Amino acid sequence: MTIGLGHYLTVAAILFTLGIFGIFLNRKNVIIILMSIELMLLAVNLNLVAFSAALGDLAGQVFALLILTVAAGEAAIGLAILVVYIRNRGTIAVEDINLMKG
Amino acid sequence: MTAALSNDLVLAIPELILAIGAMALLLLGAFRGEGAAGLVNWAAVGVLALAAWATLAGTGEAPRLAFSRLFVVDDFARFMKLLVLLGAALTLPMARSFMARAGAERFEFGVLVLLATLGMLVMISANDLITLYVGLELQSLALYVLAAFLRDDAKSTEAGLKYFVLGALSSGMLLYGASLIYGFSGTTNFVDLAATLGHGDGTGPAIGVVVGIVFLSAGLAFKVSAVPFHMWTPDVYEGAPTPVTAFFAAAPKVAAMALFVRTMISPLGDLAPQWQQIIVFMAVASMLLGAFAAIGQSNLKRLLAYSSIGHVGYALVGLAAGGLQGVRGVLVYMAIYMVMTLGSFGCLLAMRRGGQMVERVDELGGLSRTNPMLAFVLAALMFSLAGIPPLAGFFAKYFVFVAAIDAGLVVLSVIGMLASVVSGFYYLRVVKVMYFDDAVGPLDRPIPLPVRLVVTASGLLTVLYFIVPAPLLVSAEAAAKSLMP
Amino acid sequence: MNLEVLVFYLFASITVAAAVMVISARNPVHSVLFLILAFFNAAGLFLLCGAEFLAMILVIVYVGAVAVLFLFVVMMLDINFAELRQGFLQYLPIGGLIGVILLVELALVLGSWTILPSAGGVAAAQTPAIGDITNTDALGRILYTHYLLPFQLAGMILLVAMVGAIVLTLRARPGVRRQSISAQNARTKELAAELKKVSSGQGV
Repeated sequence: MTIGLGHYLTVAAILFTLGIFGIFLNRKNVIIILMSIELMLLAVNLNLVAFSAALGDLAGQVFALLILTVAAGEAAIGLAILVVYIRNRGTIAVEDINLMKG
Repeated sequence: MTAALSNDLVLAIPELILAIGAMALLLLGAFRGEGAAGLVNWAAVGVLALAAWATLAGTGEAPRLAFSRLFVVDDFARFMKLLVLLGAALTLPMARSFMARAGAERFEFGVLVLLATLGMLVMISANDLITLYVGLELQSLALYVLAAFLRDDAKSTEAGLKYFVLGALSSGMLLYGASLIYGFSGTTNFVDLAATLGHGDGTGPAIGVVVGIVFLSAGLAFKVSAVPFHMWTPDVYEGAPTPVTAFFAAAPKVAAMALFVRTMISPLGDLAPQWQQIIVFMAVASMLLGAFAAIGQSNLKRLLAYSSIGHVGYALVGLAAGGLQGVRGVLVYMAIYMVMTLGSFGCLLAMRRGGQMVERVDELGGLSRTNPMLAFVLAALMFSLAGIPPLAGFFAKYFVFVAAIDAGLVVLSVIGMLASVVSGFYYLRVVKVMYFDDAVGPLDRPIPLPVRLVVTASGLLTVLYFIVPAPLLVSAEAAAKSLMP
Repeated sequence: MNLEVLVFYLFASITVAAAVMVISARNPVHSVLFLILAFFNAAGLFLLCGAEFLAMILVIVYVGAVAVLFLFVVMMLDINFAELRQGFLQYLPIGGLIGVILLVELALVLGSWTILPSAGGVAAAQTPAIGDITNTDALGRILYTHYLLPFQLAGMILLVAMVGAIVLTLRARPGVRRQSISAQNARTKELAAELKKVSSGQGV
């Protein structure tokens, strides 16, 4: 028994699904939603690294490196917006976000 | 510096101007303090104009690749870049008086708009999945901040938070799709992708590539706010500060549509049977939702948000048709759409009563008596958005529908025309309120000069477009041709 | 059963278990800690794939910066988290259903992976043989040459993140007296002290 590409892709698929699932499950808690998004990006990185190893091509690793960088910036922006939001409203519940109605 | 690198840099001069300009203005603002907001704002307009001038260099030449083929400059890119730069340059002056009244006149606004525009230019010129992602994120991150720019306003921060959460989710989907496409085809480069995916052995592409395309289109559909990934649009458009909403509706939408068209036509062009159904579905759903959901809206910003969802649907009809005519239709559509949208939001920015923004439809009552010129321009824009001849909006729709019928998508264009008729209902309701309802009271004067100029220019272009339609058509045709293999 | 298989299943199972805990933990602080655990084990998986540099970056950037930023925000904000748990079970069935369907579909797709016959020749940057140069060296060689453009743009993204975070959260508080070293150094004796001649018996 050897570990092939399929094993890595399966782990990544599980992580990605958990990320999406987490967003649905924690509709009220923005911080958990942000962490779920981080899980999705981790799954993408795992995908890219596994493909990169299987194809013998470094492009996948460069892509993953850039995603890591961008995700760090994204987390900073997201938390900054969250902080100003809480200053205004005093809650992080997404379902409470209903100043605007359609 | 090697010769190759200097060649690359010459092709990226518009991007370099924006990047260096943004950093220089950031320094200027940091040293001069908050008093520099007005100066930075006008200087940013100057930087955008300079970049637009640099974009024009080399028009008509064959497409050229740069930066190890990660970046492409062709007439399609030039056309879309000019639109984006125009959209950004017109929003900045309009934003100034609004931000000053809201007590949020800060120099970072101009800098962030410049950086977002830089991201859009990179998206438009992307020739690799990596460039695509990096440009998209540069744009998105700056836009998240702009949506939440009025940080003491609950609505604005809420809009920023919603936009951020859904935007990050869509980026994740787009990336997962990109990783699948990379894994199953072995490359991220658009040229190589076209070559690898092009010569199938009769069995069609790997199922992984198709799933990758589905995820990628979902991510891109979010960025252009096509149904079923539109749910953020009304809330974000309503909550964000009005000039920022005008910016959202104009420049990023054009850039995202350019990215969408390039990705689908250039690397994935040979897989058209696979993605065409997805695009047709999105187009139909967007047109119908844009037509029906807007009927019940009482807030003008929400109404324009649903209207923009509908218009993305019409533009996607052109993409679904594909080919030279379809792409030309998309280009003409986006150009005219942007002019009309900027004009409509300019009208919104022009209307204040007692210091408060006029945002509800019923507050427009009797505008034709109190402000006849403004009412006339807004009415013209509404007629044009509804697609009534001989206004510009009619021609935009005409070209995409003709392309769709030529491509055999007759049902799609019939649905489009029906949706267009339904949407006429709510556009005309705005006109009816302005011309036939009781007057609510005069608007505050004076209207800021930049807003007046933008509204006037957009009104003139919309009304008089039919006299000289040729220049736009010719340049759109040349741009579309440069995208075709 | 060789060592690689054992290590893979160890890292993979802990990563997945930690991810489950991230989205289901009652306390957000626990969620962040499980996120860190997931990152550490994912770094182990990266190592198994031969991506040493990325594994280290994941630990340094993610655990060192991003996860700690999360922890910082969670602890800084005074929020009643118990209230936010309500309605958790409400979405469980539908969310679970969607999740399972998505997972099955993805598994079916990923099972079909084969290297396209045409894919071999188009690799942008072949991975050098192990022993020639290290993974970090190889990445560095293409990052600053072939991928110069995205690398520079990533720098612009970090600039946007910095400007954005500052513009949103930095507030100039009135009434706070800050030390200004340049002002202190610029003070002369004349500015600092005033000499008055007081004639005796009169006061100032």
